Parts: sequence; C-alpha cells; structure tokens
Amino acid sequence: MDSVFSQLSVMGSSLALIFGLILLWRRGVTAYISAFTWQSRVITAVTVVVAYFGHDHELYWVAGALFILKGLVIPRLLRRMERRFAAERELEPYVNTATSLVISGLLVLFGYAITRPLVALSQLPTRAGMPLAMGLVLVSLFVIVSRKKALTQVIGFLMLENGLALLAVLGTYGIPLIVELGVFLDVLMGFLVMQIFVYQIHETFESIDVEQLNRLRH
Amino acid sequence: MLLGPPLLAALLAAAVKPYRRFVGWTNALLSLVSLGAAVVLWRHILAGEVLTSGPGEFLRADALSTLLALCVSVVGALAAWLGPGMGGDDGYDGAQARRFRIFANLFTSMMLFAVVSNNVGFMWIAIEATTITSAMLIPLHVTKASVEASWKYILIGSVGIALAFGGTVLGYFDFVNMAGHREAALNWTVLMASAPRLHPQVIQLAFVFILIGYGTKAGLAPMHTWLPDAHSEAPAPLSAMMSGVLLAVALYAVIRWEAVVNAAVGTKFTDDLFIAMGLLSLAIGAFSLVVQRNYKRMLAYSSIEHTGLICVGLALGPLGMFAAMLHLLNHTLAKSTMFFLAGRVLQRYRTTEISGVSGLLAAMPWTGGLFAAGVLAVIGLPPFGLFISEFALFRAGFAAGRPWLMGLVLALLAVAFVSMIGHLNRMLYGAPAAGVTVGEGSAWPLVPLGLCMAALVVLGLTLPAPLRTLLTRIVEIAGS
Repeated sequence: MDSVFSQLSVMGSSLALIFGLILLWRRGVTAYISAFTWQSRVITAVTVVVAYFGHDHELYWVAGALFILKGLVIPRLLRRMERRFAAERELEPYVNTATSLVISGLLVLFGYAITRPLVALSQLPTRAGMPLAMGLVLVSLFVIVSRKKALTQVIGFLMLENGLALLAVLGTYGIPLIVELGVFLDVLMGFLVMQIFVYQIHETFESIDVEQLNRLRH
Repeated sequence: MLLGPPLLAALLAAAVKPYRRFVGWTNALLSLVSLGAAVVLWRHILAGEVLTSGPGEFLRADALSTLLALCVSVVGALAAWLGPGMGGDDGYDGAQARRFRIFANLFTSMMLFAVVSNNVGFMWIAIEATTITSAMLIPLHVTKASVEASWKYILIGSVGIALAFGGTVLGYFDFVNMAGHREAALNWTVLMASAPRLHPQVIQLAFVFILIGYGTKAGLAPMHTWLPDAHSEAPAPLSAMMSGVLLAVALYAVIRWEAVVNAAVGTKFTDDLFIAMGLLSLAIGAFSLVVQRNYKRMLAYSSIEHTGLICVGLALGPLGMFAAMLHLLNHTLAKSTMFFLAGRVLQRYRTTEISGVSGLLAAMPWTGGLFAAGVLAVIGLPPFGLFISEFALFRAGFAAGRPWLMGLVLALLAVAFVSMIGHLNRMLYGAPAAGVTVGEGSAWPLVPLGLCMAALVVLGLTLPAPLRTLLTRIVEIAGS
C-alpha cells in the first residue's frame, strides 16, 4: 500500500517539475498556460492521493480549492490576458534555452542537496517527492529572473506557489486548513493585482517586455 | 479596538462613491482610536500582562507586538490626517483620494493584524496582503516610472514573501515530525515551547528561507532592489508608511522566527546571518547615498542603511536587541516624518531631483527647517533619538567583543553622514528656482510632523521609564 502511495506521489511531483521546465524550452505563452494548468491539476491529484492514503479529510477541501482556483479560474484569466498580448512571444530571454536547461538541471540537484536533512528526518511515504518540489521552487525562481515578458514572470510566480503547495502537501500532509484557505485568498488577490499591473504596463509602454522597465536606476 | 478602526474606515471609503471629504475626517478620527488601543496594550504590558483573545489564542499581544502596534498606529494616524482628501489643493482628485483611503486603511489593518497574530501562518498571510494593498497605491499617479516601480515591487515582493511561506512550511514540517499533528502547531507560543526539540538542520534551512523572504520585504541587501523605486515613486503618505513601518513589520516577522531558531540551535547561526546581511545592507545603503541625485531615493537608501543597522543590532546579544528595538522606534518616527516633508517639497518644486531644489529655507522656512532637522536626526546627530540608539548599539557591540565589526559599521555610517549632509546643503541654501512660490501654503500639516520631531528630541534626551520597561520586556521575549 505504502509503496503505491509513495510511487504515485513521486510520479506526480516529477510531472509537476516537468511541466515547470516547459517554461524554459517553449517560447509561446499558450504553451506556458497549458503547462501551468496541467501542473496545477497534477498537484490537485497528488493532494487527493495524499488525502486518500493519509486519511486526512481536510485535504479534500484543499484539493477542491486548488482545482477551482489554479486549475480553472486562474488559467481562464491567463488565457484572456494571452488573447490581448498574443503577438508577444518570449523571443530572446536573458539566458538561452540550452543554458537554461543545464542550469535548471543543476538547480534540481541543488534542491536534492538542501532537502537531504528533510528526507532523512521524515517518516512519511511521500518524502521522496520533496526534493522534486524544492526543485520546482528553484526552477520557477530561475524562470522569473531569466525571462523578459511580464506574463511569463507571472506564470513563473504561480508555479513557484505551486511548488510550495506541493512541498507542504508532501512534507506535512498540508498545513492547517484555515491557514491554507488564507493562502489561497492571497494568491488570488496577488494574481489579480499582478494582472492589473500587466495591463497597466501594456498601456503605458505599449508592450509587456520588462526590459523597458529601466528608468529607475541608482 | 486595534484592528477594527482601519477596517471600518476602508469599508466607509469603499461605500461612499464619489469621494466625500467627511470620509477622510472620519478616517482621521478612527485612526486615533487605533492609536489609543495600542496605548492601552502598552499599559497592559507595563502591568505585566500579555493579552490574548480568540479561539486558541488566535491573537496575542506581547511587548514586541505592542511596540510594533504603536509604530504602525502612529504612522497610520499620520497618513490618515495628512493623506489625500482632507480638503485643500493636495494634488489628488476625488477618485485618487478614495482609492488611497480604501487601500491605505487595509494596508494599516493588515500590518496591525500581522503583529498581533499568534499564528505564524496568519502572520504570513497578513504580510503578503500588505504587499498587495500597498502595491495598489504606488501608481496613484500613473506614470512610466510609477508603473515600473509597482511592477518591480509586486513581483519581487511576492516572490520574496512566497519564499517566506516556504520557510514557514519547513518550520511546520519540522514541528510535525517532532511533535505530531496538533491544531495550534503554527502558533508562535507552541512553536517556542517545543523549539528545543526541533531538528537543527531543518529549522536552520527554514530560517534561511524566512530571512530571505521577509528580508526582501524589509529591504535587506541583496534583495533590496525594489525598495528605492517603490519608496520614491509612491505618493508621500504611502512612502511614509512603507519606509516607516512596513520594513519594521517585516523585521518583526524575522525576529519572531529568530526567537524560535535561537531556542532550537543557539544564537550563533542567526547572529552570523544577521551580521552578514546587515553589513551588506549598510554598505549598499551608505554608498548609494553618495551618488544620489534624487531626494526621495536618498531617504529610501537611508532606510536600507538603517534596516541594516537594526539587523546588526539583533546579532549583538540582549543589549544589542534593546538598542535595535529603540532604533526601530526612532527610525519609524524620523523616516515617516521625512517622507511627509519630502512630499511637501515635491508638491512645491515639482521635481524629485536634488539639483532642482534650492533655497528650501527661503521658500518654505518651516518645512525646510524640519527637513534639515530630520536629516540631522537620520544621520544620527544629537539631540535626536537615533543618536542614542546608535550609541547604545555601539556599546552593545563592544560589550559583545566585536570591536572590528563596530569599526566597520562606524565607517559606513560616516560615509552616509557626509553624503547626506552634502545633499542637504545643496537643497537648503541658495535662491529658490524661478517659478517656485515662496511661503508655507497650508501650515497645519506641519503640526503633527513637528510633534514627531519633538518626540525624537525627547527620546534623544531621556528614555522614559514606560518605554524602557517595554523594551526590556521585548529583550526577555527574544532571549537573544
């Protein structure tokens, strides 16, 4: 029983990480949005698996909220944004694709290195997924600093949140429900404000390329 | 009584559309209720009580919370009284005033909630909410610069705060593995009680995440890059709130976790991190001041410098903690006053360039005078409070046996000192530029600002007994 559980959670985490890597080798925003949507659904599935095998009923609620928010609502809003900025693709990121993939490989290794004490400490069957979740967090950070389009950065941020949600579910079977709901609310509000700003950047600068955001120095 | 008034004011501002002036006045009066509530908390602390309320000690106000609640409510009151929409020509229209009243009050209530929440998860939620609410106010005047500043702020701030969430999760992970699932496991008091049993490596990793995360919000180098942009492009009342208290609230979150980590693995680990980041922030702040051409950015970099100084203080044992907390209070008073004054200067001269402002003393004698006093306070001259707290910090450093560190800090403070005096001279003297009207304009906003300056002078001359007790209690809590 435990081995099925453990394998399912590792498989889910790996899938989530692979969806994160799509941001580094595809150029179109459409692909990014699908990657994010599927990543969120995979994490929902992992949450359901943990809820079932861990006998934790609160987690079903978390999975439901996760699915509605990150699997349905935010992707829909993202697609609406994408239609506005369809012409803007991530053509020349600060770091090219090959280098990005090498760096993200190293970041995942680094994730394994820093989570070693966690995996050693934990008794949960899900513990093997934690390094992958940490890897997703680090790769998302790298996406945010190495990509130029505001929309890509927003998706990178959302994936960072996903990585943390995954880490929480795998490591602790979820933080207390009431805190979790507050976190969801914050994610939604934060995303809405970011969305307002992306529109504002587009209106003021006539593009969502953050490279032009260089007026303020020193 | 503490949290209600700003929420109420935000609701009122949201309900009344279009904006009416009475909303601003109601807001101003409500802000005094909050301030009163913070003072009541203070009296409870002096009587030796720690107030808790709500199910499972949901809210808890100890001495550290009380100091921060005081700081937040003072600056919140200043912003309510001096913010847009109080009548007169303040350069904001009704829609902007309404937006300011809604989000500034939400911002204040979230900061207050963060400092009185016992649950570190809710503390995180509240601090994340401060990012969102304050970011909404930066582009109150939509310009390329303010849009840029707000984007950098929301992105870097959100990413930072997400990492702090990672740290919180790791801390919770450690707790769950040591003590099993418990309903109140994220309560700070519960974490503190079980701290000695936590796994040292895991809680250290958690603290690194926490420090990077909340440190981003606190403006610690090298995650400070959003700060000068956001603080210089935001409208004056918001700059005052962000620079004066938001940095302090973020540091508060770090201190809460520091106490847990210290109880788990001893103080050396956090001390080393604090000294490294504090020194780096001091250095970046001080040297950026040298090349500054913009006076609002000058104040922002000075905030980074002072945050760094507080951080160094946190690493210097109980005496250092005492000095750091006193410095935090002084900095809140000084910097928020300075940003309001800078707002007045900006409104008159219509430029944020230091070279564009000349003859400030001739054009606006009172504003100019207070501005000069503020700069002198910020660089740590007597008779202002910051001199005393910096002096106390140095004494703590020598007592802790770190003379080299203190020498370095002193050198960096001297750099900041010289460059800010230079900038101040350029602004104060000479003839006002052509087209700049001479005379104060509306003078009543100077009264509360003058009071803040007077409070700084009082703190520079004496340390009132109630304050000393409050600070001593804080040192006992942190146990550093």
